[in-house]
Amino acid sequence: MIYVYRFQPAEADVYLPLFAFLGAIATGLLILGVARGRYSSVETLLLTGVALANLLSAILSLLLLYNPTGSEQVTFWLLGGLGLASWPVDGIAAGSVLVLGTLLTLHGRELNLIQLGNDVAQSAGVDARRVRVRVILLASMATAVAVAFTGIIGFVGLVSPHIVRRLFRSDYRIVLPGAALVGALFLLTARDVSYVFFVGSLLPLGIFTAFAGVPFFLYLLYRQRRASTMGAM
Amino acid sequence: MRPSTAAGPALRLTGLRVAYGDRVALAGIDLDVPTGQFLALAGPNGSGKTTLLRSVLGLTEPSGGAIELLGAPAGRLRVAERARRIAWVPQEESPRDDVRLADYVLYGRFAYHGALDAETAEDRAIAARALAEVGLSDRAGDGILSLSGGERQRAVLARALAQTAPILLLDEPTAHLDIAHQLDLFGRVRRLARDGGVTIVAAVHDLNLAARFADRIVVLSHGRQVADGAPDRVLTAELLARVWGIVADLRRDPRTGIPYLIPQTLLSAPGGVPPTLGPVHVVGGGGSASPVLVRLADEGYRLSAGVLPLLDSDAETAQALAVPAAIEAPFAPIGSAAAKRNLELLEAARAIVVAPFPVGPSNLENLASVLPFVGRRPVALLDAPPIAARDFTGGRATEIYERLAAGGAERLADADALVAWLKVRGPPGSAPGAPAPAAT
Repeated sequence: MIYVYRFQPAEADVYLPLFAFLGAIATGLLILGVARGRYSSVETLLLTGVALANLLSAILSLLLLYNPTGSEQVTFWLLGGLGLASWPVDGIAAGSVLVLGTLLTLHGRELNLIQLGNDVAQSAGVDARRVRVRVILLASMATAVAVAFTGIIGFVGLVSPHIVRRLFRSDYRIVLPGAALVGALFLLTARDVSYVFFVGSLLPLGIFTAFAGVPFFLYLLYRQRRASTMGAM
Repeated sequence: MRPSTAAGPALRLTGLRVAYGDRVALAGIDLDVPTGQFLALAGPNGSGKTTLLRSVLGLTEPSGGAIELLGAPAGRLRVAERARRIAWVPQEESPRDDVRLADYVLYGRFAYHGALDAETAEDRAIAARALAEVGLSDRAGDGILSLSGGERQRAVLARALAQTAPILLLDEPTAHLDIAHQLDLFGRVRRLARDGGVTIVAAVHDLNLAARFADRIVVLSHGRQVADGAPDRVLTAELLARVWGIVADLRRDPRTGIPYLIPQTLLSAPGGVPPTLGPVHVVGGGGSASPVLVRLADEGYRLSAGVLPLLDSDAETAQALAVPAAIEAPFAPIGSAAAKRNLELLEAARAIVVAPFPVGPSNLENLASVLPFVGRRPVALLDAPPIAARDFTGGRATEIYERLAAGGAERLADADALVAWLKVRGPPGSAPGAPAPAAT
């Protein structure tokens, strides 16, 4: 959903993921705080997220400027990759994603209605405000866990729900777990392809997914716009 | 929660108040809606219709008063409990995802389940029935984004019906629909009330639709109820003028007795600004002045008219437009009282228009009364059909006509030419249009 990250320079490998996770949760709460109270639209949330992401990346640049010793580690993290994957990390990541993903999927029916608008959802019996807070927190936590260990690997989360919608249907009870599986599949395929074609170069995975994901995403946007203008006729 | 009490009203509002900051949107509404009634909420934009609906739905927090749904205080109901009592059809729903229509209607069953339960066979049966009720069964497998505007609004109705709530609220449900779909949707909604005992509250802008379908119309203005009752009692010329600031012909369908209205013109601009141009005096009769009066009123001119025969359509138009007029009994020669009144209006006018009326001995005086004003006021002669064709005085009318023209009156073909001429020669509103020296 919303890409948030926060970084604190640290020497040990353990601290980087930990602080990244905490920073992401803090940012998620901050966004919720800004958008609280009113029936804020999805656009408000997204724009708040974008604004905060810009602010945080400025802070990050500032920290790098005055603390060049940590820059190599940070750069590697920013580019994203599965380099950290090993037993304890795998366990933590898999466990959290499984729990958080299940909790998210349980909100599928409510999300189906919220997709029609907060007011409509509320009139049909969904406590839209409460569900939104819960879902945003759960999604922030799930994203934080993943990003904390891998760094930034873009466009996986943006593209995979669209693929599931196209393959199956727009039911969040299917889209949420489906997107997790399709995303994992996409990530592993991307890693294998980058191993095969760029042997030895260790091209960071984040760069590879961006190269593959952006054109596909633009294509989806184009298709969607055509479909919606045709539907309006 | 206690089950619905059959005796009390389905919906009861007591002193409902809503304020957004300093702005009061609803200033104490008391309303009882009995079970099975189709109530139309009418009123100008900003009168509080939508606010009322949103408060009942729990989307807007009231700042005072009470809402009871089937005997239960609405504030104590949980969201899902409220949804089992009330369903909602918004003005327009814009879904993001292309959900299958059958699934979309099934969404209406949400309030009957915990988050974990799957839909039951009963849910599917109810959703299928709702879809059949709006005539969309054959589209069940299609995505909702592929539906037309009219079909989509019927789909929204089906989703609301699947909620099987005893109260249905609609907010301008036909605002984006063509006239056939408007009749179709309101017809379906009325059948729900008549046959299904569903209580309906609908915000409706189109008063003719409200009069045709609703059992009762409640009119809101500035957050207050200003009228309440059966359509034929509520819709009066006085109410239309007071609440909407319009003049309308109110008729009654001779077959059904249902009132309908034909909007004529604004009494004032929607903001309440009176027309500032004029006044322009129109001399007419026999229906010749009506189109001129309506057109000039639309253009924002203050008007007067004379001498018009009573019961003549010109006199009716003048009355409907609230135009001061000198009136005479029909087919009678113009009497001194009417002539005097006409003269006063002519004196007060800043321009004079002579409508193309048929001139006979009884109203020759009408034409002659303009003579003293030629040269003192801009005078326009609408000359189609030409005077010769409507002169029933053996040439005397034509002679007066020629004298008027010779004195500087302008011959014009139609209302368009008149409006253009008035813009150049006519009266702004300030100085009397009397360029020539005053005649003594």
